[in-house]
Amino acid sequence: METANETIKQAPLLEARNLTKVYEDGVKALDNLNIKVMPGEIYAMLGGNGAGKTTTINIFLDFIQPTNGNAFINGIDSNSDPLEAKKNVAFVSENVQLYPNFTAMQNIDFFVRLGGKSNYKRSDYENALNRVGLQSEAFDKKLRDFSKGMRQKCGIAIAILKNAPAILLDEPTSGLDPKAGKEFTKLIGELRDEGKAILMSTHDIFRAKEISDHVGILNNGELVAQRTNAELKGVNLEQLYVEYMAGYMEETDQNLVLTNDLN
Amino acid sequence: MIKLLIEKELKNILLSPKFAATFLVCSILILTSVYIGVQEYHTAVAQYEANQQIATQDIAQATNWGSVRNQVHRKPNPMQVFVSGLHFDVGRVSRISGFQDVKLTRSPYSDETLFALFRFIDLTFIVQVVLSLFAILFTYDAINGERENGTLKLAFANSVSRASYLISKFAGVWIGLIIPLLILILIALLITTLMGVPISGGDWVSISSFIGLSVLYVTFFIGIGLLVSTITRKSSLSFLLLLVIWIGGVLILPRMSVMASGQLVEVESIAQIEAKQEAYQKARWDEYSSTISETWRKRSQEMEGMDDAERQAYRDEKEWDWLEEDDAARKQVQQDITENNRRLIEETSNQKKLQERVAFSLARISPASSFRLAAMNIAGTDIDMKSRYEDSMREYRDKFTDFTQKKQSESGSRGGFSINVDSESGVKIDFGRDDQTLDTSEMPQYSAPVLSTSNALSKSILDFGLLGIFIILTFGGAFISFLRYDMR
Repeated sequence: METANETIKQAPLLEARNLTKVYEDGVKALDNLNIKVMPGEIYAMLGGNGAGKTTTINIFLDFIQPTNGNAFINGIDSNSDPLEAKKNVAFVSENVQLYPNFTAMQNIDFFVRLGGKSNYKRSDYENALNRVGLQSEAFDKKLRDFSKGMRQKCGIAIAILKNAPAILLDEPTSGLDPKAGKEFTKLIGELRDEGKAILMSTHDIFRAKEISDHVGILNNGELVAQRTNAELKGVNLEQLYVEYMAGYMEETDQNLVLTNDLN
Repeated sequence: MIKLLIEKELKNILLSPKFAATFLVCSILILTSVYIGVQEYHTAVAQYEANQQIATQDIAQATNWGSVRNQVHRKPNPMQVFVSGLHFDVGRVSRISGFQDVKLTRSPYSDETLFALFRFIDLTFIVQVVLSLFAILFTYDAINGERENGTLKLAFANSVSRASYLISKFAGVWIGLIIPLLILILIALLITTLMGVPISGGDWVSISSFIGLSVLYVTFFIGIGLLVSTITRKSSLSFLLLLVIWIGGVLILPRMSVMASGQLVEVESIAQIEAKQEAYQKARWDEYSSTISETWRKRSQEMEGMDDAERQAYRDEKEWDWLEEDDAARKQVQQDITENNRRLIEETSNQKKLQERVAFSLARISPASSFRLAAMNIAGTDIDMKSRYEDSMREYRDKFTDFTQKKQSESGSRGGFSINVDSESGVKIDFGRDDQTLDTSEMPQYSAPVLSTSNALSKSILDFGLLGIFIILTFGGAFISFLRYDMR
């Protein structure tokens, strides 16, 4: 048993192996992507819109089928055995939307039980919500009155309560105010320290550098650069990012200018 | 897993403002409809009884069986409270007389035209129109709405199978809509019995079948709502599509099919048939009179060259045969005319039946028509109600006219009277009967046609089957479509 546990610990909890996705219209969203996230690690995927970050997460969650390659969660191929694979992962989307007619508590209760955890008491939910920083007055309020930040906190609480070994975060800090963003960063740091493997996609270069163990830069579905935290010490990540994304950034700038002119 | 998902679905429905609003509307509609239906039923019963009494009095006051004016009435049916069907449109009374055919006249709506303007809303209408719309309202965004909301992705980030998700969705919406509906219907039934509507054992079977039928019908709309919400990405689009389907299926198709069958199958009007009957009659009599004169001409030819005595003898010998011959020819004409009339009426009634069949077959493309037709068949307020009553009234008319004829011949009078002038008692008018009122105890009584429950149910089996098939098709379609649904 000891040795078995040891090997599992050494194996990646999240692994993309030669992952390629070509859509029906011929657009190549992912090109031979290889990523490994070990227990107790945070891997941040950086890249512009359409770089393939969300596609990667969607393949892990079996929302889309890869054209080639595999996505493994805790060693289980998420496309051939999605139900088993998804028992090992929690997911927080870019814009957490829950049931507007349910209170925060009711929403959390539903999604946590859906995640297979039915032994929690109300106090456990309260602890998790306190941990993510939701004010206790909001616990029994209907979600329809919640701000985006509050909904995001509920989403994270659900992920924490599911207590899965791996966590997928799709731009979790977008739209959060700086204070909430900082709290969130602290929180995922704690989760990493608990031994979770976290794969997140983000636009936030600074936060990525601050907490990630690995940073990967994606451009047009290709992993163009990958650095460990140690390698990034003293490196200007923004500079690196712009260099690798040069072509793309120019395009975006032009687009920006165009839209600004139109406005 | 399924239990949790159903629980969530139910909670989501029950907590939504949409549910509160629809439940309120349904409660008001169903309860008032049944209340008004019961009142209307009681009025109809009171009227029926009063009319019967008037008819009995009329007969009692009559001086002679030949002058009796008898009329019979259509009996109110407790099921009309829930399924008014054609009750308000078919006449309630018919004269019973040897001289004219049975014809139901004075329908409730022809008597009180104001109420025909905005018609009575019965439970059938509420289920057919209102509840089907509500079923759509609760399912149009069942899947694509959750996708737009992001909750679909969040749910499927867990170990949830698509099959159990869709089944729970269906079950959740079904329970959330059907249970409140059943509760309302039960309250409505309670009101009906408390307000004194006599519901027989057979009626209870009919009511249960009607409830089952309503459940199937609403289930179909839940199915089609799910189907459309799984084949579209946006809830605004699925709502629009479902609205078009609903308008087409519930409002337009049943009417269109009746109009189309009117165009496809021609049925002659009563005036046209009467004209045809008269034309034939005239032609037949013309032909008869020309043959008769021809015959007589021949007969006189035969006597040519005879002297008067021979002629007389010949005539005496033949006259009886000739008269019999002529009488037979006349009777033949009469028979031909009757036969022709019967044939014309039968042809028309066959055409009418064909027209009905075409209309119903076309209409049954829409489950709304299946529902309505089956509901009316179950309740006995269907399209055959009129012919059922008219047939039984015709039967009664024959019995009644036989009876009056028998009575008249017994009393030796055919409605005439004799006047005796006597020097002692003065003038005495004799109607050829006892001066007391007519003895009506032997008079045949009319009884309303009984439609057996099993008969009514067997007539609606096709529609039950069709609804079942529609449900399987829509839910099966939704299932297949959801297995490939793009969750993103």
